[in-house]
Amino acid sequence: MTRTEITPSPTVTPRSEEQIAARVKALEAMLIEKGIMTTDAVDRLAEIYENEVGPQLGAKVVAKAWTDPAFRERLLADASAACAELEIGGLQGEDMVVVENTDTVHNTIVCTLCSCYPWPVLGLPPNWYKAPAYRSRIVRQPRAVLREDFGLDVPDSVEIRVWDSSSELRYWVLPQRPADTEGLSEEELAGLVTRDAMIGVGQPLHPGR
Amino acid sequence: MTAQDGTARQAVEHLLLELPHQEAIRPDGTDVSFQTAWEIRAFALAVAAHQNGEYDWTQFQEALVGAITRWEQAQGTTPYRYYDRWLEALESLLAARGLLDVADVEERTRVVLTTPRDTGHHRAHREPVAVDAARA
Repeated sequence: MTRTEITPSPTVTPRSEEQIAARVKALEAMLIEKGIMTTDAVDRLAEIYENEVGPQLGAKVVAKAWTDPAFRERLLADASAACAELEIGGLQGEDMVVVENTDTVHNTIVCTLCSCYPWPVLGLPPNWYKAPAYRSRIVRQPRAVLREDFGLDVPDSVEIRVWDSSSELRYWVLPQRPADTEGLSEEELAGLVTRDAMIGVGQPLHPGR
Repeated sequence: MTAQDGTARQAVEHLLLELPHQEAIRPDGTDVSFQTAWEIRAFALAVAAHQNGEYDWTQFQEALVGAITRWEQAQGTTPYRYYDRWLEALESLLAARGLLDVADVEERTRVVLTTPRDTGHHRAHREPVAVDAARA
């Protein structure tokens, strides 16, 4: 077989992210139906890398919000627009909302139906985020799940709000800036921001840890 | 990472190292990196079909070179995206081997795009789905 025999597929016209994602999904379904591969085989290969698409972009946004009060205001007012200032963006039509943790409110995100997730800022969701156990329990018993599954003890004096992301609106959390970080640069601060803190199942790291 | 993951990873890294445009596979020069979920799925499909014995990896390599060359010759009608070319390479290779009809992929894609994932789920939920009030 020579290369010239290969039929070019009609990909010279621009395709949106949604169209490409749908095409990959269609292709996967067809190849599995034809017995060319199994779902398990594809999952195993995908898992090698999917935990490594990281949340560095979200961490950068959080660090800027911690150091720039005007940016923080814009982020809370319109997260998609504020992220676009930093050239961070996602699929068209998918709005992001940032919810801010305070001394009296702790926020956590979930997608109760599937795995909607603010991937332009947080990368791909961890497997537990997609699991039915987390999706149902975090809604019914948020305080217990945070303590038992994630080791995060939210004081009784703090209200917990759980936000349900959908394909139209995706939430993520602006955690509180850790104490004793006054002298740190934005870059150093970003290093303290974990994925779990932006999902709301953890806190940022403390300097020196 | 478990030892098993490490072995699977080494086997895949070995395949990836043989492909053109390493700078697209490893944007920061060291680690393999993907930007979206579909890129990872497209990557996994090509490796899975190879592991199932549908083609030699050199054939995929050639198909990928061919897809990138076609894009270069088309002179910027679409923005260059490595995994978009990767997908085209995979489809063209499977079609050339009689395993796939590209027209069927077009049709199936249309079905995926017109099937709502979940009708209620496209609504934006603007209030918390649950609140656990402060107790103290």
